[in-house]
Formats: sequence, C-alpha cells, structure tokens
Amino acid sequence: MKRFFTKLSVLSTLCLFFTNAAFSQDITVKGTVTDGLDKTTVPSVSVTVKGTTKGVQTDVNGNYSINTSANSTLVFTYIGYVTQEVLINGQQTINVVLTPSSQQLEQVVVVGYGTQRKLDVTGAVASLKGSEISKQASTNPIGALQGKIAGVSITSTGTPGASPQIRIRGLGTIFGNQAPLYVVDGVWYNDINFLNPNDIENMSILKDASAQSIYGIRAANGVVLITTKKGKLGTPTTINYDAYAGFQKVTNKVKMANAQEYGIFTNELAGLNGGTPVFSNTDNLGVGTDWYDQTLRNAFVTNHNVSIAGGTDKSTYNISLGYLDQDGIIKTNNYKRYTARVSNDIQLSKSFKVGYNITGVSSKSKDVPTTIYHQIYSASPSIPVFNADGSYGDPTSQGLGDGANFNPQASLDFFNQQTKQYRVTGNVFAELKFAEHFTFKSSFGGEFGQLENRKYGPKYYATYAQKSDVSILDLKRVETRNWIIENTLTYENTFNKDHNITVLLGQSAQSNKAYTLNASAQNVPFTSDADLYLNLGDAATRTAADEGSLIKFASYFARANYSFKNKYLLNASIRTDGASQFFGSNETWGYFPSVGAGWVITNEDFMKNQTVFSSLKLRGSWGIIGNANVPINPSQQLVGQTGNLVAIFNNIPFTGKSVNTLIPPAIVWEKGIGTNIGFEAAFLTNRLTVEADFYNRKTSRAIFKIPVLGSLGTVDNQLLGNQADIQNRGVELSAAWTNTTEGGLTYSVGGNISYNANKVINVLSGEIPIFSGSTGITNGAFATRTIVGDPIGLFYGYKVAGIFQNATDVANSPTQASAAPGGFKYQDLNGDGKITSADRTVIGDPNPKYTYGVNTNFAYKNFDLALDFQGVAGVDIYNANLANRFGNENISKDLFDNRWHGEGTSNTYPSANIGASANAAPNSFYVSSGSYFRVRNAQLGYTLPSGILNKWKIKKVRIYANAQNAINIFGYKGFSPEVGPIPTDNAEKIKADRPNTALNAGLDANVYPLFATYNFGINLTF
Amino acid sequence: MKQYNNLYKTAALGIGLALSIGILPSCNKGFLDVPEQGKQQSTVFWKTADDATAGVNAIYGNLRSWENTAFPAIAIESIGSDDADKGSTASDASFFLQFDQFTIDPDQGNISGFWNGQYRNINYTNQVLDNVPGITMDENLKARYLAEAKFVRAFSYFRLVRAFGGVPLRLHVPKDANTDYNLPRASVAEVYAQIEKDLNEAAAVLPPSYTATTDIGRVTKGAALTLHAKVAMYLKKWTDVMTYTNTVMGMGYSLLPNYEKVFRIENENSVESIFEIQCALLPNNKDASNSQYSQVQGVRGVTGGGWGFNVPSANLAAAYETGDPRRDATIIFRGETTPSGDVISATGDNPMYNQKSYVPFSLFVSGFNEGAQQNVRMLRYSDVLLMNAEAANELNNSGQAISSLEQVRLRARQGNTAILPKVTTTDQNEMRKAIYRERRVEFAMEFDRYFDVIRQGRGTEVFGPKGWKAGRNEVWPIPQTEIDLSGGVLTQNPGF
Repeated sequence: MKRFFTKLSVLSTLCLFFTNAAFSQDITVKGTVTDGLDKTTVPSVSVTVKGTTKGVQTDVNGNYSINTSANSTLVFTYIGYVTQEVLINGQQTINVVLTPSSQQLEQVVVVGYGTQRKLDVTGAVASLKGSEISKQASTNPIGALQGKIAGVSITSTGTPGASPQIRIRGLGTIFGNQAPLYVVDGVWYNDINFLNPNDIENMSILKDASAQSIYGIRAANGVVLITTKKGKLGTPTTINYDAYAGFQKVTNKVKMANAQEYGIFTNELAGLNGGTPVFSNTDNLGVGTDWYDQTLRNAFVTNHNVSIAGGTDKSTYNISLGYLDQDGIIKTNNYKRYTARVSNDIQLSKSFKVGYNITGVSSKSKDVPTTIYHQIYSASPSIPVFNADGSYGDPTSQGLGDGANFNPQASLDFFNQQTKQYRVTGNVFAELKFAEHFTFKSSFGGEFGQLENRKYGPKYYATYAQKSDVSILDLKRVETRNWIIENTLTYENTFNKDHNITVLLGQSAQSNKAYTLNASAQNVPFTSDADLYLNLGDAATRTAADEGSLIKFASYFARANYSFKNKYLLNASIRTDGASQFFGSNETWGYFPSVGAGWVITNEDFMKNQTVFSSLKLRGSWGIIGNANVPINPSQQLVGQTGNLVAIFNNIPFTGKSVNTLIPPAIVWEKGIGTNIGFEAAFLTNRLTVEADFYNRKTSRAIFKIPVLGSLGTVDNQLLGNQADIQNRGVELSAAWTNTTEGGLTYSVGGNISYNANKVINVLSGEIPIFSGSTGITNGAFATRTIVGDPIGLFYGYKVAGIFQNATDVANSPTQASAAPGGFKYQDLNGDGKITSADRTVIGDPNPKYTYGVNTNFAYKNFDLALDFQGVAGVDIYNANLANRFGNENISKDLFDNRWHGEGTSNTYPSANIGASANAAPNSFYVSSGSYFRVRNAQLGYTLPSGILNKWKIKKVRIYANAQNAINIFGYKGFSPEVGPIPTDNAEKIKADRPNTALNAGLDANVYPLFATYNFGINLTF
Repeated sequence: MKQYNNLYKTAALGIGLALSIGILPSCNKGFLDVPEQGKQQSTVFWKTADDATAGVNAIYGNLRSWENTAFPAIAIESIGSDDADKGSTASDASFFLQFDQFTIDPDQGNISGFWNGQYRNINYTNQVLDNVPGITMDENLKARYLAEAKFVRAFSYFRLVRAFGGVPLRLHVPKDANTDYNLPRASVAEVYAQIEKDLNEAAAVLPPSYTATTDIGRVTKGAALTLHAKVAMYLKKWTDVMTYTNTVMGMGYSLLPNYEKVFRIENENSVESIFEIQCALLPNNKDASNSQYSQVQGVRGVTGGGWGFNVPSANLAAAYETGDPRRDATIIFRGETTPSGDVISATGDNPMYNQKSYVPFSLFVSGFNEGAQQNVRMLRYSDVLLMNAEAANELNNSGQAISSLEQVRLRARQGNTAILPKVTTTDQNEMRKAIYRERRVEFAMEFDRYFDVIRQGRGTEVFGPKGWKAGRNEVWPIPQTEIDLSGGVLTQNPGF
C-alpha cells in the first residue's frame, strides 16, 4: 500500500509540475472520464500525452483539462481500467469511457497487515470490490461471494440473520467452527453477520497457505480481509442512499403427498406392520391440508442505507446508517437490524495519523421453533388446521402415531420467543511515519456484544401432544467481550532503483471471552411484556445455570518482501502464536512460516517487443497454517456434573459428579501445509485476463472427534484427538474478458472453475476405519466410513439389487434379516449366501469435485445488466429424510407415486415400510447426485440521464430489479442439493459448532426449502 | 509546526511503546495461563470424601437413563417375551417388531443403546472403584461406597451377559488406547465369575438397611444377596440360591398386603422392596427428572399422556388363574377406571397397558415426562420367595418349595379363599411348572419374563411360535457399530 501511495504522490507531483509548465502554442482539451459499467465519473485518472512525460489527473468530478498539440494522442490510465488512447485530431472536448478491467497487475490488493500491488503478490489472493457486493442486494456480505471466486463455495442457510456457510478450497478443518477468519479493519471475527454489505470497500480472500500463514493460528479455514469504506482526502461531501424492497419466495419445493395419498400410504404401512387400517375410507380424505401453504409466505424484505462520506485536506470521514427488515418465509418469523458506522481518519501532521472505526448493531428477531420445518414436512395432510368448532385439528383424533403428532399451526401460535442482539465493535489506531522509511502502526480493537433471548411458553391446550398446564419463562443472556491489540513496524526502501524491499514486524495479543446465563421460572403471568420477569414466577420452579469461556492468544510475526526490477519477487514470513488452549502442553506455541516467489515475465527485456501478453507472471508459494478452533485445553479431562447424574434418595436430589470421558490424548497443533503454483496473464491490452492455480494442501494431524467403542462407557461415545492427515489437491482457473464495442456496449464476461480432490493419507487410529454418520436418521447405523486412500467421510452401506417382490423372491435370494416383500434386496457382495455387515461398501462421495461460476456485466447507454451463474458437479448426497420415520409422517409425492405396493409395482422404491430398520439401513437407494446449476443473480439497472439530474442537484440515480436464485436446476429429490449446516434458531447460534461435520457431510437431514429473492432498488448519490 | 510534529511523534512513540510494553507480558506464561471457566478438571477430582460421595451419587443418577429404563431396556428385556406386545400404533416405532418377531439385525439402534447404557453404568462404577480407595476418608463409609459400586457393576454385567453372552469385561477405567480400550469378549463363565465376586464382596460390606432417611434408596446387603440368588438361579447353582434366599428371608422383608399397591408412588422403597431405581419429579430440576420409564409405557390418549409401548399381550391376559387379582393389578384395560380413579378411554389405541409403570394422571406435571417420579422396581421380596421355592424344589425339598410358593399366592389372593388355591404337589416336575407359572404372573411386565424363560430352557416351547430359534436367539446380536469400531476384535454371535 505504501509503495502504491508513494508512487501515486510522485505521479501527482509530476502532473502538477507539467500542468504549470504548459506550452502556449498548444490547444486546450477538456473532458470527463466515466466508468463504462456504472457510469460514474472517475477521479484521479492519469491523462498523459503519448510519447511525452506531460500529463494531468482528473479531478474529483472526473474532469480534466490539458494543453497539448492538436495532433497528439492522449493516454488515459487508471488502476483497474483498460488503458485507452485517443487521437486528439483537433477536438477540444474529449469525453472518455473507461472499461473496467477484471484484473490488472497494477491493481492494489489487500493482504495480511497491508496492501500489495497485484504484481507483487506471490500467493493466491482474490479480491472483490465493494460495489460487487452491495450490488447483489444480499443481506449478508458473504452471500454475495457465491460463484464469484474460484475455490470459494457458499451454502446458504435461509434463516434471516444467519450467515451462510463458506468454504475456501474445500474443507480446511473438521472440528469446531469451520468458518474462515474475518479481519475487518484489523479486528478479528468469527462471523460478520453484523456487517452491512454497503459498508464494504473491498474484500480479499486469502486462499493459499502462504498468504494465510501471517494469520497463523486462525488461518486454517482461510482468511477473508475486509476493509470498510472511508472518505477520501480533499473530496466534498457525498451522500449515498441505497435501498431495495422485495420478497423471498420458496422455490423447488418438494411436493408432498395429499391427504388421500397419505391415507393410502398410512394404511399400507399399518398393514405391513400387522396392524389394521388407520383410515377406514381413504376416498373421502380429499386433498387435505397443505402445511407449506398454511405456514409459508412470500416474505417481504426491505433494506435502507444512507452514507455520508468526504474529507478535508487533513481528515476523512464516513458515516453510514443501515436498516434491514426481513420477514422469514415462515409466517411469524421476522428479523430487523439497525447498523450504524462511523469512521474517521485525522492526519495530525504529515507523518502522524490517528483514526477509528466504530460499528454499532442492534437486531431483533421474532423466532420460530427450530422444529417447525420438520413439522410441516412431517405433518399429516389429513388433519385440518382447525376443526369446525375452532379447535386445532388433532392427529390423535385420527389415531396417528408419534411421528406426526403435531399441528404445525399450533406450534407457531403458541411459540413466543424473541432474540435481541447488541454489538459495538471497532478499533482505534495511530500511525506514525518516521526516519523516511519506517511506519509504526498501533491498533486497539474490541467487541462488546450482548444477546438477549426470551422465550415464553404459555399455559395452553392445542392438541393431545401440544399442551401445557403451566407457563414457562426462559431467559438467556450471552455476553461477549473481545479485544485485540496489534503493533506493526514497517520498513520500506528502494536501493539502487531496482531493489524494493519491505519488512514488516508485528506483535499481537487478544482475548475472547463469552459468558452465558440461563434462567427459567414457571407460572409467570402474561398480560404484557412487562410481566415477563422470573420474579413473578413460582419460587420453587426457578432455575439458573451458566457457562463461560475465555481464550487468549499472543502472537509475533515478521514478513519480508523483496522485488528486483519488478521482475523477480520474493516473499517470506513467519508467525508464532501462543494459545491458551494449549497452555501447559508441549506445544503452547505454534510456528507458521511461509515463502513465495514470483517472476513477472513481461517485465523482462526480451518480452518488450511482444504484443501477445499485456502481462504474464508466474508464482509459487509454500506455507504452514494452524487451527485454534479446538476446545480450551483439549488435552485436559473434565468432571461431568450434569442433572442426569443427580442421585435421588427419598425424593431428595444429591449432586452427582464423575468422570465420563476418556483421558484425552496429548493433542498437538493441527497444521495445514500448502503449496500453490499459479500464473496470471493478461492479453489484448488487459481486455482478457487468465489466472490459474494448482494447489496441494495437507491438513496434518487433523483434530476431530471420532466415535469410540461403547464399552468404554463414555457419555457421548466420542473422543477428540489428532485423527488423520487429509490432503486436498485442486486446480482453479478463472478468465475474464472485458470490452467496449464501437456501438457503446461495455461488457465483461468472467468464468471460474475449480476442481478439488480430497484424500485421507493417514489415519492415526491405524488399521481401524473411522466410522461415523450414526444418528437417528439411520436408525443408529454408521453411514460413512473414512479410510486411508479414500476421500473423507464416504457414504458406506449396502447396494440395493432391487425390491423383494414376493415370498418366493425372498426365499430365492441371499438370506437377509427382516427380508419381506416390498423391502430392499441387498447385493451379496462377498457371495456367502447371506447379507451381513461384510456386504457393505462405498456407495457415494459427499466431497464436491467441481464448482464453477460465470459472471457477466453489460452496460449500454443508461442500461446495465448483470447475470451470474453458478454450480457444483461431482458430488453425492445421502437423503436421510426418506427413512427418518417413527410413525405416520407424511411422505413426498415422489415416494408415494413410485412406492412398491404389490408385486411388480416397483423394483426401485420400497414399500410404505421404508422406515423399518432393514430398509433404513444405509444403502444406495438414499444416495443420489448433488450436482446443480443455478442462475444465481440477475440484475437489470437503469441510470437516469444526467441532464435531468443536474436540475435536481443529484449526481446519480439508478434504479434496478434484481432476482437471486431464481432458477435452480438439479436432479436431487430433497429440498436443496446444498447440504449446509443444520440451522438453529438465533438463541442457539452460539452453540452452532456441530462436531464431525466432515465425517457426516452430505447426510441431508434438512427440510428447509430453497427460496428465491426478488428485489427492486434504487441508488442515489447527492 | 515542527515543534508540534515532534510532539506528535513523541506522543505516538509513547503510545506505541506503552502498548508494546503492556503486551510484552504476553510472552510470559501468565497471559496464556487461562484457567478453565466454570468446569472442574479431573485432576482435582477424587481427592475428598465429598468427591467420593458425588461419584457414587452419579452411579445412582445414571441408572434412571433412557438406556436403563426405557426403549433399549424394553427392546432387549421385555418385548421378545410372550407377555408384551409392541403397543402404540402399528407404524409407531415399528423397529420393536424386530425384537418381538426375532428378525433383528445388528444395526438396530436399541441394541447399541442397551450395550452403551450398561457400559456407562460400568464406567461410573469403575471410576469409583479405581479412585475412591486412594481418598483419605472414613474407612467404613469408603468400604460401603465401594460395595455399592460393586453391586451396580454386577447388576450391569448381569444384564449384559443375559443379553449378549460373553462381553468385554472392563473392570478398570480405560487408560491406554493401545492396551485396554479395545477388549475382546470374555467368556460367559468369566463374566458370571466376576459378577459373583462383586456380589460376594458387596454383600459382605453393605448394611441391611439405612437409618438416615437421606440414604433411602441405596443398595443394601439384601439387594446384593437377592441379585446373587438370581445370578445363581441363572447358573442353576441351587444350593447357593437356597443359601442366599434363606438369608434374605431372615432379614425382615415382607410382602405388602395389596399387590396392586406395591407399584404405587406411596409404596416406593416399601418393606417388600429390595432394589428400586430411584426417580423423582423435581419442579426446579428437569434434568434430574429424566426418567421416561413410565412415560414410554403410559396410557396413550388424550388423558393418559403416555406413548403406549410395551403393552401386555392377550397371551398374558389369558395366563392368569381365574380370579387372580394380579391380572387387574398388572393390566390396565381399555375402558376401565383404575384403582386410582383414572378413567381409561374405551376407544384408545391399545386394548391393554402396563399398570405396574402407571402413575395416576393427577400426578403429571406439564413440561415434565409423564410419571417421571415412578421408581422402577427391580427386585422384590416375592422374587426371593419364588427363587427359594424353585431352589428348594430343584434340591428335592418340596416342603420348603410349597411353603415359599404359598407365601406369594397367599398375598395374591388377598383373603379370597375361592381363588388361587395353595399348590401342594410334591411332584418335582409339577412344582417346577407351578413355580414357572407363578413367576410369570407375579413378575409380569417387570422385565423378568423374557430371560427367565430362556434360562429355564423353554425358549423354543414358549417363544417358538413368535419366531424364536434355539441356538440363535438365546442372545441378541452384538451391536454392529461396536464390531465396526473394534476393527474385528469383537465377534458376532452365531446366526446374525
């Protein structure tokens, strides 16, 4: 960054000099420079006369004026745009439209603890401009990354206020929080759902180990660096107002059976289990209740942002206010978020700058039960929402079993929970330049957060299974108190013109503290919110419980960048982190080095005369990163003191405590060791850019929990430890083409594709495979197996040969427990005449192989159009919902239509008894392709002509219509081929760590419908 | 201006230095030495008498668990018998049919559930047995705590060996992944030998009863002897059965006059009770009110609140002698009014429910498992009497067999001389049949029948029509998950 600014200031000084020294015999050429895509004027564009050193810069409004000879050629250059040459030919007004280039080596990218020219970067770093992010009309900035960057995959959860899941180059770590590290203006976060997308100036994604390793301990899942918008020195106040309104609409919903179909299925199921029909007459059941129609809606969303930015010659400021009001697709769900942000930089003297960024966020959500999606999926369509007398339709009245024993409407009506979150976060910094080449920067950042969750369960009677004779008030408070101090010293110098050197030394310390308090009481009256105090409840029923965590890190780091003649580049860094989690072990401190080298071939003399490449660079790097997402001191064994261990003697409780876990093995740092080789090339005066990366990353001694023998008697049958070495190898390719046609159409087309192959190269448990995926959804059987040489967590089970058609078929087939007509006939792989566990095999791979995206922008006159496509291929999903049956849950229409219901009716789908253990055993029927293709985003905008605007004193008005996820194409029969984490409600987010997600990846137990978002918006600039 | 510049520089350097110095301690150990927040480390546990007490309490607390008292126990110990049917609606939890019809596959989750649940009991006992001996405390109390742990360990291994045959014999807290994590199956004889050893040692120390009311519910000498008698009965060690039951019969236990009342809340830990799993409903402690024993077997329907699994079979209802009051005391019939006054809907899902796990509806508390307060009767004095009778009969002491059996029948007939005539046969075979039948009706729905029939060697005769096969169904399969995780160290039972 420093280098860039230095260059810039030298350039501007030169420009000023030449402007003053203009020759009198020349003509004066004036004009305005605008951006070809978004039609804004572009300040600070360098306008030079070709073949001379004469030049000027455009002012803040994009205007320039230059005196030169009437037949010379003007060259317009600016970082991030295709350089343009215009022959003056006597014209006195020349307005220029610059075409943004997708990438240029002169472009500045944000890297760890600083910025670099793209040219100087030797690792794999991708960046995205703030305008690309805010343009997507996403409520969360992460969502805007989908399909934009090779190697970055995003999975949405759909809960308002929740952040999507992000994976950078496949799965980095397995245990704990798998989100990348977010660094916003130097402050570290696990989640950025508090950040208003409109406040983002730039997002950099550090993809390879060498770029990440400067963040050592926290870099294992990648690093996302975010700089927020700041005002610019010496610019007048600019006011932006951006707003949109729209709605979210459920799409690609799984079609469920109607009441009559459900009745037929339920009777068949009862018959297969030796029972009598549940419904005496299915003909009169009709269509029944569609619980999706009953509980879902087109959810309204609106978002407003105002920002005021500008700067004097000494200081800059940026103030923004944001308001988001988002309904959930469940009718009673709503999320409101208010954000406020102030940033202020003050240049106290030429060499001393201080500044701060402060963000305040307040959000409030009206929650819905976490079980509601599963309820509307399972609820019986034969039950009316309300009976004729106004009471709730009750599944018990029809004798339906526990699997469907609820009325989802009653679940919503008697659910009263709100979650409020408050957060103040930001940093203050001071920066001092001294002794010409040194910059010292000190930053103190912090976060002060509070979550307030309140749930009131009333005294009520809705149905047999949904009732309560007492009311219960549950309160929860979560406090977070984090701070981070970082000091860096940078030395930068150029020796003998050709040797550029930058050295960074730094030190950091941080502390993350969380405290949770839960309390409840029964029989709290409720006439208004003012009643909802524990004090008003029964004293004997009051409970309180709390928990907390405190983690501290201390770190030191250093980095040196060297370049020779802008041709040969060398970077090296080292970071050491001490983590309180590992305190007392042999490895309290971890060491994370990296090296990188680059060769800018186009800067070689022998390339001077070629015209094919505008630029060509080769680079290679290696680095080590660490994972601190482990429990506090994982090598220590704790005492269990839970309520279920309370002994009862004579009806009096006595505290029970014991040790119910294994002695943890001595856990050592999990490390990622990555190499990356890439090239960047630009052709045709930077109109076409191509970038390719090959990477190989080994996660060494990966920490995660594995199932252990039940006979060990542990409370959860799991053990945390260093379990395996896992390798991710891949290729990423991206290309972009930008051009402006003679007709005035400016367009860009970019594409990216990445391939990742995952392989387990060592299992520390030795010969014994790691089995996992055992949950209620598989009736307790393991559904995945991880062994050396295979990708992690492959689906493992029986191969289905067909469906038993009749008793003869059963008798003539290999012996199989619980074999019955209509059940799965499994393949006898070892040919021993019987189906046993030895006949299980690999039946699918949940690790996505290909992810791709295509991003296009078109601008013609006042119209602009953006179309983004995105997809995934080469991945399997295990549909765990199909056999997840405890009784008379509803079924998909697909299952109903295709089920076996008598000899010859199907040889692929089982009978209604699909949930029986033998049929629910993990098998190939439940595995299908998870490939998909999606029109991720489509946006059409219109910018009002400037003539009108000048009258209104408005600089710019743009209106647009946007559609997100409007078209999704996939063959998978579940709700969504993106098997994300199972979202929890806001109150539970704090506990969102789901262990073993890699071992259980692709096991789809989600019943969350996909939704598309349609928005209309306006961008105003005053 | 220059002056100010210098001032700023000095100030900045000052701030920077201050920050740096403030953080320098970060490199010394103090900064990173963060104590565990709100969690106790095992290294500071097992030091005091209070720790020993808490460790023993945990053993008792865990006995209420789902695995010990609910679905897994029903699946393994009850549903296979001719006394019980699956219950609920046909499609609800249909996996129970695999146990009822002996079509079980080793993947079924309740098999691993039962296995894991028993080994959790064993871990809690091993924790106490390994760690409490080193604690400096009242030696008498220490010895009693160890004896209590040994009883529960024996109890759990007995449930395991009945269910699976030989199982890994884990007698210490596992310490080393390379040596004592992955144990092979011990033989049936080895498991029984350990059970007997633990019970002998427990019986030698445990008190016959507890004086402090805050100790009511702990295991006693009588419990250890009774369990040992039962183990000996399974091993056909009839002399031992005689010895142990004779001792217990001299310890002051007696039968309550009313059979039905034995199973009501007010008679928990009564004079007839020898060992009960202690449960409670504590309004401010939902986690400790976690028993689902009564709930899962409870009356289905709008008023009952139960799930209605493990229901009495028609076969059981027909097994009683005419007029036996135990039939009505054991079975809630659809449409009846219970002795506690609850009206059972005549149109409910199931014709019969288990009355022994039944808790009157008026005691239900919203938000809590229905009947969470019901203790689980594990060993009753009538078991001692019937074991005594059976052992006497096997040892050709028909006089004592007649006498002990009659005590049970006498209470059952509740003064009605028209029913349940005294069994007076001196024919050993006839007497054996009479005792077998008496055990069935006396302990119906108490999780005794299934393994009782198997140890009598009558599996094919009694359960054969349901699909039970000799040479296979004497035990259930070892959980497939456990075999997978053992990497083949564990072997499957024949026929699975």
